[in-house]
Amino acid sequence: MSMTSTAAPSPQTGAVKVAMLISGAVFVLMMLVGVLMRAAQGDLLDLDPALFYQLMTAHGAGMVGTAGLSGAAIMWYFLGRHVALTRWVFHIFLALFLLGVVLILGAIFLGGFGAGWTFLFPLPAISGGAWDLGAAAAFLLGLVSIGVAFLLFYLEAGRAMISAYGGLGNALGWPLAFGGSTENAPPPTIIAAATVTVFNTLGIVVGAAVLVVSLINLYLPEFAVDALLAKNMIFFFGHVFINASIYMAVIAVYEVVPEYTGRPWKSSRIFALAWASTLLFVMAVYPHHLLQDLVMPGWMLIMGQVISYLSGIPLLAVTAFSLIVYLKGSDIRWDLAAGLLVLGVAGWSVGSVPAIMDGMISVNKVMHNTQWVPGHFHIYLLLGEVAMAFGFMAWLVRGDVAQSRFTTLDRLGIWVYIAGAGGFTLMFLISGALSVPRRWAVHMEDWLTQDRIATGFAVLAVLGALIFVLRFVGGLGRSSKA
Amino acid sequence: MQATILVISLLGMIAVIAIFLRAISHGATASQSGTVSDNIEQKRSRLIWGLLVFGVIVTAGSLWNWPHDAEASSDSISVNVTGGQWFWEMDRETVPAGKPIIFNVLSKDVNHGMGVYTADGTLLFQAQGMPGYVNKVKYIFENTGTFKILCMEFCGLSHHDMNASFKVVANASGEK
Repeated sequence: MSMTSTAAPSPQTGAVKVAMLISGAVFVLMMLVGVLMRAAQGDLLDLDPALFYQLMTAHGAGMVGTAGLSGAAIMWYFLGRHVALTRWVFHIFLALFLLGVVLILGAIFLGGFGAGWTFLFPLPAISGGAWDLGAAAAFLLGLVSIGVAFLLFYLEAGRAMISAYGGLGNALGWPLAFGGSTENAPPPTIIAAATVTVFNTLGIVVGAAVLVVSLINLYLPEFAVDALLAKNMIFFFGHVFINASIYMAVIAVYEVVPEYTGRPWKSSRIFALAWASTLLFVMAVYPHHLLQDLVMPGWMLIMGQVISYLSGIPLLAVTAFSLIVYLKGSDIRWDLAAGLLVLGVAGWSVGSVPAIMDGMISVNKVMHNTQWVPGHFHIYLLLGEVAMAFGFMAWLVRGDVAQSRFTTLDRLGIWVYIAGAGGFTLMFLISGALSVPRRWAVHMEDWLTQDRIATGFAVLAVLGALIFVLRFVGGLGRSSKA
Repeated sequence: MQATILVISLLGMIAVIAIFLRAISHGATASQSGTVSDNIEQKRSRLIWGLLVFGVIVTAGSLWNWPHDAEASSDSISVNVTGGQWFWEMDRETVPAGKPIIFNVLSKDVNHGMGVYTADGTLLFQAQGMPGYVNKVKYIFENTGTFKILCMEFCGLSHHDMNASFKVVANASGEK
């Protein structure tokens, strides 16, 4: 490995802790917004529909953005162990991200914008009087700012990896995947980070293009993009971006779990092949969001179904399988970090089951845009990406390994969180199977029972998350990890 | 159908949870000298091939009859359903049972989703309504009665109020 950068590799602990503190706080805040929405659907709370849809937009944008932020912080931290990164890039990334957050919050709570985080063209421009064009423009500009932040982040990550490994192909582990060459094989962190860098850069560029078109359309309605093309671009961007957050967060598992099991996570050929196939699958699978857009070419819908299924194989047979093998062969001493990181992979794997089901065209006919959809994605976010992020936070402030304890409060936090998030997501799946549509501010009488039970579970999940965040804040002062 | 999907999903999810729980409890009792056995990669390979073969069978079975077939036939009847903020327009109020009904789903403004529900609230099928496009979906109603249309794609402030209904009747009197 050649190091052409001037600085030596070193994790940027302080800035990463700030990013994780913001992530933890926003996760809890947005979970509370989620509780409000479920309570309103359950008629436990009187919420004006306009405010409900504003909260829904804030919840979606806030959670997706924060999943991205926490994933990026994890990737930046561990990438810093292997390559020399330019430190100020992460500061600019954070600043642009926060600028985007301010614009989005202003658009929603000052301008009344409530078109959902997916800004499905042409809804931002046609609100039926609910918000004005300025609010829509501020929201779209906020997303552009966050997109630019991530683009900068990936350009720097890509530059550093290309520089250190002598080309993108090497960083992706392709000589290992396709040639079986173990010489200079990059560690799992590099293969994962390089893969995410490639697909999320493409995703963000496509997202930026449709955002700019939507922005121009606000003020020049005759400048209209084809609605089907816009939908394809938005779902390509949205799918790739949210998946990138999970694929970045799993780097924490590759780096931290070996500290507990005593077994290094190796870049085997199957590992490199799994990531090479993930690169393709993540980008090619997005038509599974468009299975009820019947004018889509049939081959694209079939591709959506087939790749939905195939996407589960690298996850289940490589990441989850390897973790299980490492756990089985080790005498692991559990603590909060280890528990949450393993939970993250387990939750991600469990969530893939209802996701794959929904990716089947015949199932999607009766499940699409029902609560089945938030059901499956809340499993692999709440019990997957977010659990990994909380696990990373716990590890960051863990201090000395020998002193690390799995306290009663930690155990309580994990079990309350699993019970809350598990029950909450199960109620979504049951509601989906009972044909309850998603994204409805006001629910019918028949649906209220599930909504109310889900609200109770959601409160539990927030309590668990609160324990994790408070524990992180408490640990910030005494930790010295670098 | 939805109940079957739920049960299959729950079984799959429970299986994954059980595998993780087993690994965790096994790990707790493993000795320090425990090594990863040599046949791990063989097991992994079997898992991958097993998943691939299972996937091919399920894919072929689920797509053998194209789920989105909307081909018109001599006895099919077309209905135009247009979504707008926040209403549904249908060019006929009744359709006959037992005949293929082709719904042409359109939109006057933003994206909508036509979800056709039974009176007791079970979603039968759906199709997106999109500006500039006509999405066609075919369905044969086996039972008569009142059916509802709910909006399945978030379309703004009164998305949840975008409901309509139509009747399925026993004979061809549904034809205008």
